[in-house]
Parts: sequence; C-alpha cells; structure tokens
Amino acid sequence: MQHVLKNIDLQLYEGDFTVIMGASGAGKSTLLYALSGMDTPSLGKITFGGEVISGMNSDALAVFRRKSCGFVFQQIYLIDGMSVMDNVLAAGLLVNRDKKALIQRAGELLRAVDIPEEAWNKFPAQLSGGEAQRVGIVRALINSPRILFADEPTGALNSKTGLDVLDTITRFNEQGQSVVMVTHDMRSARRGNRILYLKDGAVLGECDLGKYICGDRARHEKLSAFLEEMGW
Amino acid sequence: MRKCFLIAASNLRRAKGQTIAIIALILLASAMLNLWLMLSLDYKRNFDRNHERLNAEHVSLALHCRDREVLDYLAGILEADDRTVQYTMEDALCMPGSFDYNGGQINTEFVILEKEAALNRSVGRVEIVEEGGYTDGIYLPMLYGMDGSISLGERKEITIGSNAVDYEVCGFFNSIMAGSHNCGMSALLLTEELYGELEEKGYAPASTLVSVRIRDREESEAFEAMLKNAVSSHFPEVGTLSNSYELVSSARYISQMICSGVVSAMAFFVAMIALVVIASNVINDIQENMRSLGALKAIGYRSGQIISALLLQFPAVAVLASLAGIALSYWVFPAVNAMMISQTGIPYETHFLVMPFLLTVCAIGGTVALAVWLSSRRIRKIDPVIALRQGIKTHSFKRNKVPLGRTRLPLHLALAMKTAFSGMKQNVTVSITMMVLSLVVVFSGLMVENVIVDMTPFINLIVGEVADSCVNVNVRAEEAFLRMMENEDCVEKVYLYHSMQVNHADQNFILVATMSDDFTKVNNQEVCFQGRFPRYDNEVAIAGKYAGENNLKIGDEITLTVDGQTENYLICGFTQVSNNLGRDCLLTRDGYERMGNLENLSYYCNLAAGTDIDAFHERVSRQLGADVNATINVFYVVNGSASVYVALMELLVAMVLTLGGAVTVFVLYLLVRILLNNKRREYGIMKALGYTTGELILQLAASFMPAAILSAAAGLSICAWIINPLTALFLRGIGIVKCTFTVPAGFITWAGVALLVFTFGMSCLLSLKIRKITPVALLR
Repeated sequence: MQHVLKNIDLQLYEGDFTVIMGASGAGKSTLLYALSGMDTPSLGKITFGGEVISGMNSDALAVFRRKSCGFVFQQIYLIDGMSVMDNVLAAGLLVNRDKKALIQRAGELLRAVDIPEEAWNKFPAQLSGGEAQRVGIVRALINSPRILFADEPTGALNSKTGLDVLDTITRFNEQGQSVVMVTHDMRSARRGNRILYLKDGAVLGECDLGKYICGDRARHEKLSAFLEEMGW
Repeated sequence: MRKCFLIAASNLRRAKGQTIAIIALILLASAMLNLWLMLSLDYKRNFDRNHERLNAEHVSLALHCRDREVLDYLAGILEADDRTVQYTMEDALCMPGSFDYNGGQINTEFVILEKEAALNRSVGRVEIVEEGGYTDGIYLPMLYGMDGSISLGERKEITIGSNAVDYEVCGFFNSIMAGSHNCGMSALLLTEELYGELEEKGYAPASTLVSVRIRDREESEAFEAMLKNAVSSHFPEVGTLSNSYELVSSARYISQMICSGVVSAMAFFVAMIALVVIASNVINDIQENMRSLGALKAIGYRSGQIISALLLQFPAVAVLASLAGIALSYWVFPAVNAMMISQTGIPYETHFLVMPFLLTVCAIGGTVALAVWLSSRRIRKIDPVIALRQGIKTHSFKRNKVPLGRTRLPLHLALAMKTAFSGMKQNVTVSITMMVLSLVVVFSGLMVENVIVDMTPFINLIVGEVADSCVNVNVRAEEAFLRMMENEDCVEKVYLYHSMQVNHADQNFILVATMSDDFTKVNNQEVCFQGRFPRYDNEVAIAGKYAGENNLKIGDEITLTVDGQTENYLICGFTQVSNNLGRDCLLTRDGYERMGNLENLSYYCNLAAGTDIDAFHERVSRQLGADVNATINVFYVVNGSASVYVALMELLVAMVLTLGGAVTVFVLYLLVRILLNNKRREYGIMKALGYTTGELILQLAASFMPAAILSAAAGLSICAWIINPLTALFLRGIGIVKCTFTVPAGFITWAGVALLVFTFGMSCLLSLKIRKITPVALLR
C-alpha cells in the first residue's frame, strides 16, 4: 500500500489562518480532508479539541463536521435545486433548530459578503462565480464552525472575484475565525499567518508570516523566500 | 448502424442495474401476457379439439323412458331436421344422486352407462384416462381423480335417488359433455355385471340417452329447446334432462375465465408500469448524460443515430426479456394447467403456441419501441453547446418549492418534499405502481373476505339459494311432509324452492325455472338484484344476463312453454345466479302450474343450529318412505362445488400479492437508482456539510411518500368503489350482472397502511447505496 501522507506531526491553533501549499500531488487536499473528518486516515491519529476523530465512523464524522467544520470548495458545490437562502439554511438547520435566529444570522452573513436580499431567492445557476463562492462561504460559516476549511477557494474564479473571496475569508479570520486553506496560489497564500509546505506527503517546511497587512512588502518577500527555499 | 450498436452497448454497460430491473419487469409482464393468451386463445379451442376427437354430441337428451313409441317419434323428428348430422340412442339409468368429494358433496343428475357401451359410442365417445386393472366397479369423471381426493381402488359410496350403493373405483374417464357436475348431467360408468345389477334393483329409472351432432354448434341451445319441447308436448309424462354444447363449453371454463381475467389485468398493469419505467429511464438517461450527448453531437453524431441507439437498446432488451418471459410462462404453465384441468376436467397437453408467442413479442417490443421513441424525441432539440454545459438552459428556476425558511416541516421532511415536488416523473411512476397495488390489495381483500375466510357471500352469488337441508318429495306426499315439518322442533323455516326446465318460446331457449310459494321466505334476497321477485302467477323474474342478451326489460311480456302448454308472463325483476350461467328465471308455483304439473317438489329447510342434518334426513326418509326422492345436505354439496373455487382464489390471491410486491420492489429499485444517479453530487455535498447516511436515506424514502400516500388513498378508494362492478364484468360470462361482495374497509385500510410501510421500508432498504457516496469522492 502506498501512503499519500507520511510522518506528519502537526498542530493547528485556534484563530490561525493556516495555509497548506505544495505542488500538485503533494497531498495538500488529502491532508485537508483528513483534518476535517471528510476522510479517515488508514494510519495515525487526528485529535480535534481533545477528541480523537480518526477512529470515528462515517455518521459520527458527519455529526462532527456539521458542528465543528465549515467547508469552502474550489467547485463551490452549492445545491442546484435550492435557492441561496435554502443552501445556507440546509447547513444551518442541521445544528441550530431556532429557525428565526438562523435566518437572521444567514441574512447578516449574506449582507456581510455583499449578497443583496433580492438574490437570496435566486438559484445557484443564476449567480456569478464570485457570488456563488461567497454564498458558499456563508454556508460554511452559518454554524460558527471552529475551523473553516477552504480547498482552493479561488481556483474556479477570475482574479477580481477571487480577490473578493479572499478578502471575505480574511475578514472573517480577523474576527477570530480559524481558517485552514489549501492553495497553490501565492497571492492567496499571502493571506495566511502560518504557511505549511508539503512535498511527497510530508511537511517539508513551515513559515510564520504573522498577521496579514495589506500591501506589506516584507511579508511578501518572506513568503517568496520560504517558497523558493522549499523549491516551489 | 455500427455506431448505433456502439452507443447502445455503452449505455447497457453503464446502467447494468437498471437494465436488469427493466428486464425483470418485462419478463414478468410478458410471462403473464403469454400465459393469458395461452389460456384465452387455446383453452376453449382445446374443448373443441377434444369435442371433435371424441366425436362428442352437441345436444344430449336423457329421456326417463325406453318406450319404443317415444323413441320412434324422436327419431322421426331428428331425421326430418336437416340440422341433424348424426345421432344415437342408448340405454342408460338416470337419476339425481350424490357422492362425497373434497370435503363436501357432489350432487348432480347422474347418467349411468355400461362401460363397454360407453367406450364404443359412435357419438360422444368416452375415453379411459386412468384405470387400475380392477374387474368390477365404477369409473368416475377424471375431474374427481385430479386432486387425489378419490383414488383408484377405494370403495366409493354413491347415493342414487334415496338409495346408497357402494363400488370400487376402477378408473377415471374423460367425457366432454357429461364429465363434470357443471354439465347439467354427469356420467358414471359401471362394469357390465354391476350395471345389470343396478338396473335390476330399479334405483334409477330405465332411461334412454339421445346424443345428437348437428351442423352448426352455435344452434345447439335452440336445437336442445326444440327437442325437449317436441318430447314434452307429445309425451308430457316423460321426464327429460338435457344439455347443449353452448352450455357445457361455457360451464366447464368458468375457472379458466376467472383466472385468465385476473392474469390479463395483471399483465396489462405490469406492462404499463414497465413502459412508464422505461420512458422515465430514457428521459433520465438524457438528463444524466447531457454532456455525453453534447459530446456525441459535437463529434458529428446525428440525433437520429442517438435515438436509433436507444431504439436498438430498449426494444432489443425488451424482446430478449419477453423471450425469457415466454419461456418462464411455459415453465409455470404445467402448474397452472394442472389447476385448470382440476377445474375443467378436460385433459390439455402443453404445446408451443405460435400466436400467443408472436403476439407477446410484438406487443412488448412494439410498445417499448413506441415508449422509447416518444420519450427520446427531445434529443433532437438538444444543442451541443448547451448539452456540454450540462444542459444548464434546460433547468427551470420558476419556483422554489418548500422554502426552508418558511416551511413548518422539520428539516429532513422539508428536504424530502423538495425532492418529491421536483420529480414529477418519479411521482407519476410511484402513483401508477400504487394504483396497481391498490387494485391488487382490494381484489385480495375482497376474495379473502368473501371467498377464503367466509365463502357465504361467494356462495350466495354463485349458487343463489342456500339452506341447511333440501328434501325432494313426491307431490302426493307434500301435505304429510309439511305436517311433519310443523312438528319437527329443529325446523325453523321450510319453503318450496324447486327447479324445472322451461322453454322461452320467443327465443327457443331452455331456461331453468325456480319456483316458490313465497319468495319472501327465501334466504338470499339478493338473487333478484333489480325489480322484485314474482308475487303473482303471471309474473316472472329472469336472469339479468339473459335479459341483456335478448334486450328484455322489466314490464316486457315473455312466452314460456312447458309440456306443450304456452303461457305469457310479465317480467317483474332481474336475477343473477351463476349455476345456470345466466339462463334461469323465477316463477311462483301457481305461475309454473299454469303450464305444467309438478310430480315432485324440492323443499328447503333452515334447521336450528346444532341439528344433526343427516339424522333429520333419516327421520324424514323413515316417515315418508318411498315418497322421499332425495335428501341433500346443502352445506356439503355447496362445499364440494365451491371448494375448488376457494382453492383457485387462494392461489390467485397469493399470486397477485407476490407479483404486486415483486413489481413494487423492481419499480422502487429503478426509482432509487435514478434518484441516486441524479443526486449523487447533491448527496456528496450534503454529506460534506454533515448529513449522515441515515438522514439521507430517510429523506430519499420520504420523497416517495407524498405520491405514494395520495395515490394509495385515491387508488384504494377508487378500487373499493369499482371492485364490485369490475368483478361483475369478469363474472358476466357466468351470469353475474351485479356483484354484491362485501368490500372489507378495515382490511383495505390496514392493507393500505401496510402497503405504505412496505414502500417506505423497501425504499430505505434500496437506498442503502447512499452509504457508498462519500464526500471525499465528490471532491477528488
């Protein structure tokens, strides 16, 4: 059997914006799925807030995901047959039974990501890529997850809408939301305060960038140097 | 063409499960279709084949005399009539009698013949189908040896008139016109010595059996009426008994008619479900493979080629499945055949039937091709670019059904409703399946309630009148009999219920006339389903079926003849009794006696509960002696005749329920497969969001329930409402015009609930495949 991830000993910290980088096939997404309980590792142990999730069965993992994790996907993955609001509530109502409070929170989040009220009853196919991804972020955050996992969230977007999405994620991180993001885009990676570089399934190196400040050149150079050192 | 083959082969490989389920549905439909065609096209022909093979008579007339003058007169009439082809006159012994059979009693008019003479008859030859090498004894119609309740070598007590005789059963024979108690007369063969002994004892009057073959068998009833009328008008003192080709050919195929009716209904419904499933499969295939279709069109495939591939794929599968279905029908046919022979009493050799084969294959292949063509026409409208974008333009965003923010439903139920409301094809398929199942449930409930558990309603409908005892006495002993009945504490009610044959002179048809002094006394008041029973001597109530066939209405006047005496009667009501296949009428005793005299009378008696009926009969026979012609334990007689129908119904109910269940499972399997294919991505997303497998299974199963609940409620109500008229339609051939079976509301309600629980449970079970959908597979 060939292992995708090898000898990884990693701790993630609350409030961090952790970025996982690496070349294609390095195991970035596999690591993200394992950390988020989307996939179960064949060996090793994953502990989340003191709870071992690597031994859970699929239903227990589902309950863990709905309560503790939020997901933003590269392909967005809104449900086609549901309106914007229903996409958000389909995730929210799993955890929160107070529908009124939930609708209020969904509204606040949608407004916060610049989705106007008239768009809430639209279907995903009627939204632009950027709008859809911002709805995806709202859906991921509706249950106030302990970690927001984002897998190449700008991968399917053009540069302008990609930037908007990154700004949104960054803003939520600044408000205390822990984020783990997989990307191979340096512009996206710059938003993180902790960069992990994966190669052949192992963490090759780690870089602490500190808090994101827009236009901070020194930070950018530090990241470039780190990536150059990693052979990127 | 090769391209079409490639696409078809690729489609089949891709959807193995669906193909297997469709094959199973078509296999069932074609098996039943072929079975129905075999039963309906060849069984009646088998009667005719046997009729010709044994050179059977078209009209039988048993005369209770051997007087040369009567026979010469009759021979003169037969020879003068150009319809006569061949006739014979043979000695026989004729008498009503009975014997125990299958937990009951067979009570019929016996025509007893000497065995060797019967085997050598030039008209109406009898053939031995089984014998055990015994030298002296009796041969019975093969019908009674089919189910093993009477076996070779056993001693059988036969009651002839009021005398019991005891014979060893030497064998069983096939007689076309007198081989069953349904024929109006039932033949018994005795070996030479025993026949001579019985003749000497004088238990049955020396009689003559006249067997006639005529040119046109469709005229057999008219010919029979003419012969009877000729004898009774010239020799009113000579008792007669008769039957005709038309009566016997219908009477011996009642079970086949009921069975093929049920099988045809099931075949039709299963075929309809299969077509709906195929059509929705095609539509779903188009939706699901929009991108592939776009790619095919983009690389140069024409719409016609893609449609041709579907037309090649489904009808080819259907034709192959129908061939397997036909093979299946031949595999189960021996069991069906054995059941049928035990009802008809006529041997049938299974052989390959070309016409049912061709009709089945063409009907299945043709309808499937039509369904595929109709549902695949939208392929022509697909634009390659839009199709490559996964048919994005084809989506409708007009309404957000069940918005989660506004609905009061719990989350999972709300999501199930969203699925339910967005899948019209799914709802139509579920609804049709539920409608069919409703019919199955209501039919089963009706048969369980009215035939299997308590056969009284069935007996009331089929037999007409049932009491505890029937005593046939000479008319001269009538007063003594009635006095005795008054003094018998166990007798609760006694009333005249006697049947005689009359000729409906306007149509020249023989009708069985049942008479009573007072019809308000008869137990089954539902025999007269329209109008009323006759009260006065100029009134008649006639069979509804016969009235319909001859355009007779209440208030019309008809002419009846007995012993050459003709009288007019006013129709006061319509009746239904299957005993005489709808060829009967009711008259008051005075009404009958306007035409003819009664020599003996049948009185029906209701006895107190717990009365020993046989002991009662013994007392009557002891007191009235030779004036008692026959005593009948009606329950035993009815039980003997009706038990074969109960066995048939049990089998049919088991068959339709099993089949209904199997069809539901196949349909649900296909629907679940289609939903899982359509919603694979959505379920992946939902699992990623934290929905558990169990929650998604419940959602999927619940999405079938609105259509299932509504269609089951509507289906059960409609079926409960129409089941009696529908049953009457099936039974019309045996004289039932209005069916009055009890519709078991409680049974139907609980069966409906069970049906929904079954549907929900089965959907959950079939949805277990959701376990295999992982969020990570969606993301990779």
